Amino acid sequence: MPALARGQQPGAPRLTELTLEQLGDIEVVSGSKRPEEVWRTPLAIHVITREDIRRSGATSIPEVLRLAPGVEVARIDSDHWSVGVRGFGDQFSKSVVVLIDGRSVYTPLFAGVYWPAHDVLLEDVDRIEVIRGPGGTIWGSNAVNGVINIITTPAAQTHGTMVSAGGGNIDRSDAALRYGGGNGSTFDYRLYGKGINRGAERHSDGIPFDEWWTGQVGFRTEWTPATGDTLTLQGDLSKGQHGQRASVASFSPPSQVPLEGDLDASGANVRFRWERESTTGRGFRLQTYYDRTSWLAPNFGERRNTFDADFVHHVTLARRHTVTAGVGARISPARFIQTIPTLDFSPRRETSSVYSGFVQDEFDLIRDRVQLTAGSKIEHNTYTGVEVEPSIRALWTPRPGQSAWAAVTRAVRTPSRIEDAIVSTTFASNVAAAVPVFLRISGNPDFEAERMVGYEAGYRTRVGPRAYFDVAAFHDVHDGLGSFSLGQITVEQSPAPLHALANVFYVNGVSGTSDGFELSPDWQARRWWQLRGSYSYVRFNLANTPGSVDVNAVARYSGSSPHHQLRLQSQVNLPRGGEVDVAYRYVSALPAQKIASYHTADTRIGWTLSPSLALSIAGQNLFSPSHLEFNHNADPAVGIARSVFVELRWRRGSGRP
Amino acid sequence: MVCGLRAEAPRTEYEIKAAYLFSFGGFVEWPSRGARDEAPFTICVLGTDPFGRVLDSTVADGALHGRKVQARRIGTTRDAMDCRILFISTSEERRVSTIVQALNHADVLAVSDIQGFAARGGMIQFVTAGSRIRFEINLTSARDAGLTMSSELLRVASAVSNNRVPGE
Repeated sequence: MPALARGQQPGAPRLTELTLEQLGDIEVVSGSKRPEEVWRTPLAIHVITREDIRRSGATSIPEVLRLAPGVEVARIDSDHWSVGVRGFGDQFSKSVVVLIDGRSVYTPLFAGVYWPAHDVLLEDVDRIEVIRGPGGTIWGSNAVNGVINIITTPAAQTHGTMVSAGGGNIDRSDAALRYGGGNGSTFDYRLYGKGINRGAERHSDGIPFDEWWTGQVGFRTEWTPATGDTLTLQGDLSKGQHGQRASVASFSPPSQVPLEGDLDASGANVRFRWERESTTGRGFRLQTYYDRTSWLAPNFGERRNTFDADFVHHVTLARRHTVTAGVGARISPARFIQTIPTLDFSPRRETSSVYSGFVQDEFDLIRDRVQLTAGSKIEHNTYTGVEVEPSIRALWTPRPGQSAWAAVTRAVRTPSRIEDAIVSTTFASNVAAAVPVFLRISGNPDFEAERMVGYEAGYRTRVGPRAYFDVAAFHDVHDGLGSFSLGQITVEQSPAPLHALANVFYVNGVSGTSDGFELSPDWQARRWWQLRGSYSYVRFNLANTPGSVDVNAVARYSGSSPHHQLRLQSQVNLPRGGEVDVAYRYVSALPAQKIASYHTADTRIGWTLSPSLALSIAGQNLFSPSHLEFNHNADPAVGIARSVFVELRWRRGSGRP
Repeated sequence: MVCGLRAEAPRTEYEIKAAYLFSFGGFVEWPSRGARDEAPFTICVLGTDPFGRVLDSTVADGALHGRKVQARRIGTTRDAMDCRILFISTSEERRVSTIVQALNHADVLAVSDIQGFAARGGMIQFVTAGSRIRFEINLTSARDAGLTMSSELLRVASAVSNNRVPGE
């Protein structure tokens, strides 16, 4: 086996004994780059490549994320998803940071990502790096359970014209156009536009409230004015209407009514990045962006402007140390717009700000064998003041084709505006009371950050020349997860009629541990056939802290993420550019969401009709006409339908497909 | 022998590239570096290392020009002066011109798989032909650095150009 791992096969000559011509005749495995890229990373990382995205048949970022081990994606309805990493799945995936080209799309309003408002042209995505586990030292607060880094391709690689158009039953129509040019070295640019129109999922009450559309245009330019300097300017403008259903309380009967309508979303952002790499091992990256979001839904509205600046400098010292240090600031003024009497914020206007600094040293303890990375981020935020997020990571490369790593990291999740300042009233119960009882949830300015210390280890190995195996395990210790305080019952006469209120506020009332592991094998069975899989396991051992009384919180945290997830995927390349791909998945039950376990499968068939034209048919959720994946805030849960999508893609010009 | 190879398990791209890097050493003559000629024959990687440990195992126990061969990862072109062969990783794509300039015709065989490397003053550029790895040569860059490439190397190359980088 050591001989195999050394790239030497029994009875075969060493590659170095071959002539140059013989070397040029050997066929290489495609996609073999991936294992080597992550080989020296002391993190649980999975890279979804552009090829993986294309062959998944997925049409949105959350659907693509299903490809990564340890990630739980549950579609709530056509335009909402619950995304969690290593547990803690929630429509507001509070502890996962999502970045698009370094721009955070995680909103401080509800601590999470509102997916339909943050789209990208999937054809532009170079890769999505999914990091499981705490990443606070680099990515700052809220990178507690994971980081999703969406990285688009440099404009130098997207010259020419690309047009795609598709249609289906749920993804009713998608169209995209991209044009790029430049000289490939000093100045490059691209422009794109896309539109999507999505149908409703399956509703037991027959009301298709979740139809939606978005349109987006954007650009990216790269300029290299002097060697070693790269200046990137990019921006996007988007607009859309996303169908919603909310449950709204009313003090007069029937106490609770569904409210349906569109969330009108518009967004604009512009990002500037200056990177300098000198040949002396020094370099810096200066990034600044402005991001504006405007949301107006039937039950709430918000306008937010975010200004962010980040500076990171790195220098290689004495050949064995690479020191990286940086500072950053993010200032995000926002205004809440009240649209219904039972949902408000106090105050409505607020500026969330974060100032941060970090330093990290990466050094070779034993050259090429043992590498240590230690560092910390120190942040100051509006809600909880100073937070420290240190980490230490070790990487051991004992033999070719093998690496093992371990890490201890501290991370924090800072309060959202909801936890800080919401005033919300929802209907609780008519039963066992003379008057209807409503739940009044209030923000708590003293709500602390949720804190986590993660202990992780991982091992990667090549098994023979064609298979690759990755395992990562974690033990996370959580302190002060959010829950509700004991309800104080009051009776209110105005607004009439007489009603009772159970007044609760947010407290840091749940602590405990979560443990689990992810296995992800990858096997190039034949030159034309690739098999991949992943199994993810997580279990929770959470409890109310002494004095805490929330009877639902522990069950909600423990039962809103699947404890077992299995994914198997086969990709077959046929002669003349045919592709046949199948993916199966099993997701265990979510008791807190009243969701049963399910199995389903997706498939995609692709044909290359001519060098510039490709056709594909993708079918998703094939096993049943519809299945439930997550409960809906306003009952009942929405069935996620079997869907078919046909797409034609035409491309002309240089660069990558 | 070639038929035998076909029956084997597929190789990864960087196993082949590592084998090429080693083999190139036998088809190039370097000018004398005086006393430093006694030093091990060093193959360096600049930028994010795509080889993992493949390069180390490829050169292990190997000898070129009567000297032991070693692989090294370097962070700067300043460190490249002790290298005989320098592989520039695709992570350095946008810095290629700086790197080529910094090498300033040093007697280092500059190899890369960055697109347009040979045209931008590099010496040997790997190119992918279907699922096979081939290479192109910029003979002028090699000559300017005082390196002599054997006719065998030039014959096997998929393209040999004589371009000098504009502006030099």
